[in-house]
Amino acid sequence: MTADSVLVRCLSSIYSVLLYVWPREFRLAYGGEIKQVFRDRCRHVTRTKLLQVAVITGADWMSTTFREHLAAARKPVARGSIAEWSMTILMYLFATTTLVQAYVIPTGSMEGSLRVGDHMLVDKLTYAKPVPGVRHLLPYRDIERGDIVAFKYPEDTHQTFVKRVIGLPGDRIHMANQQVYRNGSRLIEPYTQHIGPGPDTYRDDFPTQPEMLTTPKGRDMFAHHMAHGDVIVPADTLFVLGDNRDNSLDSRYWGFVPRDYVIGKPVVVYWSYDAPTQDLEHWNVPHLIDVAEHFFTKTRWNRMFFVPRSQQAEEVRVN
Amino acid sequence: MVPNPLPLTAPVFHILVALSEGERHGYAIMQDVAWQTSDALQLGPGTLYGCLKRMLAAGLVEESDERPDPVLDDSRRRYYRMTELGRRAVRAEAERLENAVTAARSRRLLGGVA
Repeated sequence: MTADSVLVRCLSSIYSVLLYVWPREFRLAYGGEIKQVFRDRCRHVTRTKLLQVAVITGADWMSTTFREHLAAARKPVARGSIAEWSMTILMYLFATTTLVQAYVIPTGSMEGSLRVGDHMLVDKLTYAKPVPGVRHLLPYRDIERGDIVAFKYPEDTHQTFVKRVIGLPGDRIHMANQQVYRNGSRLIEPYTQHIGPGPDTYRDDFPTQPEMLTTPKGRDMFAHHMAHGDVIVPADTLFVLGDNRDNSLDSRYWGFVPRDYVIGKPVVVYWSYDAPTQDLEHWNVPHLIDVAEHFFTKTRWNRMFFVPRSQQAEEVRVN
Repeated sequence: MVPNPLPLTAPVFHILVALSEGERHGYAIMQDVAWQTSDALQLGPGTLYGCLKRMLAAGLVEESDERPDPVLDDSRRRYYRMTELGRRAVRAEAERLENAVTAARSRRLLGGVA
């Protein structure tokens, strides 16, 4: 089975742009062949392994950048090195600000799918607003129900949250006895876990007790976006829930996520480290020492390169 | 003038092993290295060509003008072959590794008997 050729073309074009970071001489000598090798490699792997290839190639791209620039700098004649380095720095900034962002899962609200201490790369491109000229060149796509998204927490935009999308604009949603009902259908959600401390009517039979709520955005949801026992997701927003359903502060508590607040799609866990929430939110010296001492034992090696998946819930028609 | 290439780095060693049976192009080398190491060493394109560049400079490999496989030929691909120096270097490295393994085995760090 070969991978989707459109995807391969996209990856190849991104890769050829990234190659401009490398020293000119090296690029001119081997760039063509390198692109050819990358295309061959992509074509020969299955779609699931394609991401692994992309990650390996990305890491290789970074290390090659440093190695070849060092090698070029050691040469007696460094032609146009200032221009070259500026280009390198610009491209690096472009890649790290518009394509990917590193993010760490600090809390257990997605436990079952994502663990506290998972360090992930978030793909900022897929859910970005398409730029007209390159709309068909890059792999943009719309957010779908069941996708995992990283977004700015509406109550405090400095914080990044990761949750699963349950409702798109226009969807009617309520929960009864921990079951989610969307547009009148009961959802069977294999990705959730219920390890709650006990029953909680507000949490399990949402939204039957709006008077319990205190956040302003949550009150707005109850005041303006409810009908017949459902919340109705307004235009350009999402309704999101954590997979660890009984221990998750999500749309039930603070309302909808504006579409513009979405940062991207978590694509791969590049490092998973067993550490408490407060150390992951605010790096401190004891934590750094802890990492240095226990790197090999507390790193969860089996989670390396874990790819969180979108999962569609099965809908069961009721009434 | 050319620095002593020994000991060889792992990528250089495996690339030379890949070239021991004849000329190869870049992607074929990459696949061969992955096969040799059961996927433990997956060379990225940048690493592969960075190594080839240094190996060309050190005289361990050379570019080939012949096109070994006319059916699968593609003008964008260049083929590489091992030089006599490369062959001597990879042999010396393999012997060094063999001695290292024998030493480790004699101290029972690996299975089997010394």
